[in-house]
Order: sequence, then structure tokens, then C-alpha cells
Amino acid sequence: MRFTPQELRKLLLPLLLAAVMLACGGALIWSAQDALRRAQMDAAAAQAERQQNGARLARIAEEEREVKEKITVYQRLKALNIIGEERRLEWADAVNRIRANRELLDLRYRVERQRLLASLPGKPGNVDFFASAMRVELAALHEEDLLRFLGDLRDAGNAYYAVRGCTLTRTNNAGGGATIAPRLRAECNIDLITIIDRGAKG
Amino acid sequence: MAARYLLYFTAEDHYLYRAAGGVLELEARFSGDEPGVGAFREYLRHRSGALFSVMVDLAGEDFHEEQIPLLRGGDREAVVQRRLAQRYRDMRLTAALSLGTVLAGERKNERLLLASFTNTQSLAPWLDALEESDARLAGVYSAPLLAPALAARLGVRSGRAFIVTATRAGLRQSYVEDGRLRFARLERMADMAPQALAMFVRSETLRLAQYLATLRVLPRDGGPVQALVVAPPGQRIVFENVLQSDARLVFRTLDSAEAERAAGLRRAPQDAGAEALYLHLAAKSPPREQFASSTERRRYFVWQLQRAVVAAGAVGFAACVLFAGAKWLDVIQARADAEAQAQEARRSAEAYERITAGFPVTQTSTENLKVTVVEFTRIAQRSAPPERIFQHVSRVLEEFPQFEIDSLGWSTARRDARPGGGQKPEGPGEAGETVEISGRVNATQRSDYRGITAQVQRFASALGSSGYELVRTQLPFDITSEGTLTGDIGATESNEAPRFTVVLARRAP
Repeated sequence: MRFTPQELRKLLLPLLLAAVMLACGGALIWSAQDALRRAQMDAAAAQAERQQNGARLARIAEEEREVKEKITVYQRLKALNIIGEERRLEWADAVNRIRANRELLDLRYRVERQRLLASLPGKPGNVDFFASAMRVELAALHEEDLLRFLGDLRDAGNAYYAVRGCTLTRTNNAGGGATIAPRLRAECNIDLITIIDRGAKG
Repeated sequence: MAARYLLYFTAEDHYLYRAAGGVLELEARFSGDEPGVGAFREYLRHRSGALFSVMVDLAGEDFHEEQIPLLRGGDREAVVQRRLAQRYRDMRLTAALSLGTVLAGERKNERLLLASFTNTQSLAPWLDALEESDARLAGVYSAPLLAPALAARLGVRSGRAFIVTATRAGLRQSYVEDGRLRFARLERMADMAPQALAMFVRSETLRLAQYLATLRVLPRDGGPVQALVVAPPGQRIVFENVLQSDARLVFRTLDSAEAERAAGLRRAPQDAGAEALYLHLAAKSPPREQFASSTERRRYFVWQLQRAVVAAGAVGFAACVLFAGAKWLDVIQARADAEAQAQEARRSAEAYERITAGFPVTQTSTENLKVTVVEFTRIAQRSAPPERIFQHVSRVLEEFPQFEIDSLGWSTARRDARPGGGQKPEGPGEAGETVEISGRVNATQRSDYRGITAQVQRFASALGSSGYELVRTQLPFDITSEGTLTGDIGATESNEAPRFTVVLARRAP
């Protein structure tokens, strides 16, 4: 059956209407499916959160014990300014103070730029561990001078001093003269470790 | 549902009815002459796009039974058209009603009832008027074509039956066999008293039965035939008294109001006869067979197509709505599930917060507190202080006063940091410490190489205790097969003390 142009024109509007209705129907289905996909994702996320929170609640007794154990260490780290930004001026002050107090004959040091040791995921923020390498050279009368220097440095705080290596060498200066000459030369590599807790309050 | 206009065509006047929702209303009446056609044309001018059906109730309607080979589709249509052309000179209003199949020898034939009007000239101007207007002609029907539908509505769906009705045109008698029209005739009648009309119905029905028996359309020994008579309003009792059944005819009389109810006609014009039943059926459930050609019905076909397209779209949309509705139910369920899970998660979190509020006051979150302390402890554990090795070496030296240390190099075994201090985090290093001790052996003659070697080995063994592992010992005299052994055996002895090197290691706990 062939349609005349006039008849085709008459059929155009119904065809358009039918197409619009089908398109609307398709849009309805699409929107419903999209909404379903999003709702299912939300439900899955909510379920995961519920399971996580439930598990956390279940192990709260253990967590309380852990917190009680670890809070002392954390507070100590905070008090020693190991947690917080680097305090290079305080480090310099501490070295100078130790040299003066211990009457060390010669002491040189060099602190390198800071580097990231580890970045650990926390909640609400990461916990980053940084280290600055310090090289110390000192002239000592006795090996005890080196040990006292390291002990004083630890007591000074403002970082955790992780000694990476020390070399103690006997010098050729013979004792017994009028002036006190160093008999030993010590070189140490020390990591000055600080911690940035990005989830800390205040 | 759209209103439908029905032109009731009789030999004299023509009546235009409007059918909508089971109600039939008389719209206009036209005389059968030229002015009547003019009035009809004028009427149509104001009914642009309206649906029209024509119901013809004329005496000159021809019925002729034929057989054609059992065919389908275009072949059948071609054969039917040829038979109609052979039978009728004027092909404008013809119809072929299928009466079923019959075996003719080894092949099957189809029985056809060819129908037309002996004189279509009176109809032509009216159909031309419809064609020339913008009206949509649904079909041209006759009362006999609608008789099987009426019989079915009145409870006769099978068997043989006469349907007898009194219309404006006269007494209409249709013979229906198993729901299919076989024959019909219209007998003019004047105004009669109910008694006379009933007797007229009886005599005419008996005459028709006899005529059909003569034609062998009605078998002689086929038993009595049911005659369903629709009595005019209020005349049923009179009809029942007169129309007594006998061996050939079994009369069943219905009141016109009862017939209208059975046909689904809610209201008909007061002065209308039984034609209202046929008109109502032509409007509500028209049969497939009718007299108009496809060309005359083309606008109606396009209109049907328009509605079918929109209906298909609507059905598709409804299906989509249903499907989307089912999906939305799933969405509601999923959202309710998510909300329930979220509430449970919130309750757990609140309970956790409530309980942790009683924990010692910290300046960070519990998570960060743990991470900080655990990682710091790990770093501290692998950062062994040098004091321990110094003390160990001092203790051993006290046992070996003849040994003098020149240098002591201690280092943790952990891998060095990246040169340049990059910001990439370092990997976990191997924990442990190593120490290299170099020195001299005093108070022993250099020539006593056996004694010196033994002393250095004892010294190294002493160092390799208390958790320290002896990694390497370099003796003053290389006594290994891989080394070079040298000596200076002269008159004078050298004053230089023999030198050694010991390397120790200690694993992290």
C-alpha cells in the first residue's frame, strides 16, 4: 500500500507522538536503572561502613588497652617535640650547649635537607615520618666524650636521634705536653627523625 | 471513544444518527431526493473529519452462494473480485461473505455468499457526498450483514435461526446458520395493529422458510427452525399469542427493550424501530464484511493507522512505565536497605564514640595514635645505640691489655638513605649493626708469629660473644692459602707492633 504525501503528513504527528512516548519510556527506564545502580552502590557502601564500624566496635576493648599502652609513648614523643615540625635552631642550640658543657675541643656538624622516611595512612590524616641526616665530627680526649655527647643529644629532645654509624679513630697526638691535645677523632652519622601527625587536634 | 455518525438508508427517507457510549441519537433526517443530498452535503461541511458508517436497509439486496478454490491472500482476493464482477455489473457496493470450507472431490473449496444491491444508483450520490467531504467512511453495511451479530447478542450463536425485526423500511427477515448469514429479505409493510402485525410476521416467516426449503438452503428434514422475533414496544404478549410454534418453526419473542439491553444499546430515539439495534451494532462492533471499497474507506484506514501508531506508542510507553516502576520499587528497596545499613553504621559509630569518650585524653585520633607509636617503636628498635658495642669492646680489652685499638667503625646495617634527600619514603631497612675494629698487638715479639696469631684469634673469639658474630678477622700474618705470607728475617727486629682487623656483626632482636 502506497501512501500519498498528504497521508504521510497525517501520519507524521502520530509517529512523532509515538516516538516521543517511546523516548520518554526509554528515559524513564534509563533513569530508573541509573537510580537503582546508585542506590545499590550506596547500599553497598553503607553495608561496608556498617561492617567496618561494627568490627571496630567489637574490638573496642582491645583498642582501649592499646590506647592506654600507647598514649604514654605518644605523649612523651609530643613532649620531646619529636611530633611536630623540625626545630633546627633548637638542634643548633643543643649542640652548642653540649659542646660548652662537655668542654669538647672541636665539634663540627652538618644537617642535610629533610627527607620523607614513611607516610602511613591514618584517620583522619596520614602520619608522616621525616628524617634529616646530620654528620658530626668531634675531637675527643676519651671515647666517653662521644658517648656523653650522644646521650646529651638524646636528652635535648626536639627529634629522635637515630645513630646510623660512628667511627672512632686514634690520632697521632701524644699526650703529656703542656696543652691538652685530643687523642681521638669521632665521626658520626645521625638521623634526626620528626613526625608530622596530620590527624592531630590543634 | 469518538462519536460515530450513522446514515440509515431506506428506500424513502434517510436518517442520520449519532452513536456514542451506547446512546443513539437522531441528528438529522434527509429526504431521498436531490434536495436531501444537498442537505446532507451541507451537513457534512460542518463535520470535518467525522467518522461515518452507512447502514442500508433496502429491499433489493441480492445474495448468491458460490464456491471458489481454497486460497489465501492476494490470490483469494483476485478470485473473489472476479466472481463479484461476473455476478454484479456495478461493483461499487459488493461484498463476499465466507461460509466456510467444503470438500469438492479431492480438493477443498471455500463457500462464499456474494452480496450486493440490485440498484446502487440511489446510494451513489450519498456516497459521493461522503467521498467529496473530509468525512471518514468506516463502512457500508446492510441490516442482514449485522443480523449474525444481533443473533449472537440475543443468544443465538449456533444452529439455524430466523431473525425477524420490524424496521422503518419494513419487515426484515434474516436467515442465519451457525452465526453466518445465508439469506435475507425485506418485506414492505403498512401501519398495522399489533395483532395484524404479528400475523403478518407469522405468515411471512412461514413463506420464507418454505422458500428457503425450496431452494434447499433450509433442509426439509432438518427439524424445526428457531425464529427470533423482536416485537415492537409493548406488543410482546400479542406476538407470543399469535406466534405459536409448530413442527417447522419455533418462535421466540423478545420485547424491543429487552433486545436493546441484550445488544448493549442504552438509549434509542423514541420513534426508531428495530433498526436502532442494527445501527448500534454497526457503531459498536461492526463486522469485517461490508460493501464499501478500500478506496472509499481510505481516509478511515489512515485514521485507524494514526490511532494504531499512537496506541502502539502508548502501549510501549506503558510497558516502559511498568518496567521502570518495577525498577523504582527495587530502587526504593535498595534505598531503604542503604538507609537501614547507614543507621546501623551510625549507631555503631555513636556507640564507639560514646565508649572512646571514656578513653584517656589524646591529642589525636586513636588510629593515628596507634600508627604513630607502632611505627616509631619499629624505627627505635632498629636504631641500636653505639654504647652497647663500646661497652662490649671495653670489657674484652680489659682481658687483653696487650691489645691497643687504633680505630673502631660502627654502623647500623640498615641501608643508607637516598642521596640528595629525596622526598620518596624509604623502604624498611635490614636491622642490625656491624663494627670493624683495627688495632695492634703490643708486648709480644713480632717474630713470635705463632703467639701473635693465637692471641689475635683469642681476642677475636672473645669479641665474637655476647650476641656478636665474628664476620672476618684479618691477622697480622696472612696464613690462609689465598693470601701472601711475607717475612723479614734479619739481624735487627722491627719495633712496629703487628696490626689486625676484626669485623663483628649483630642481628637485630
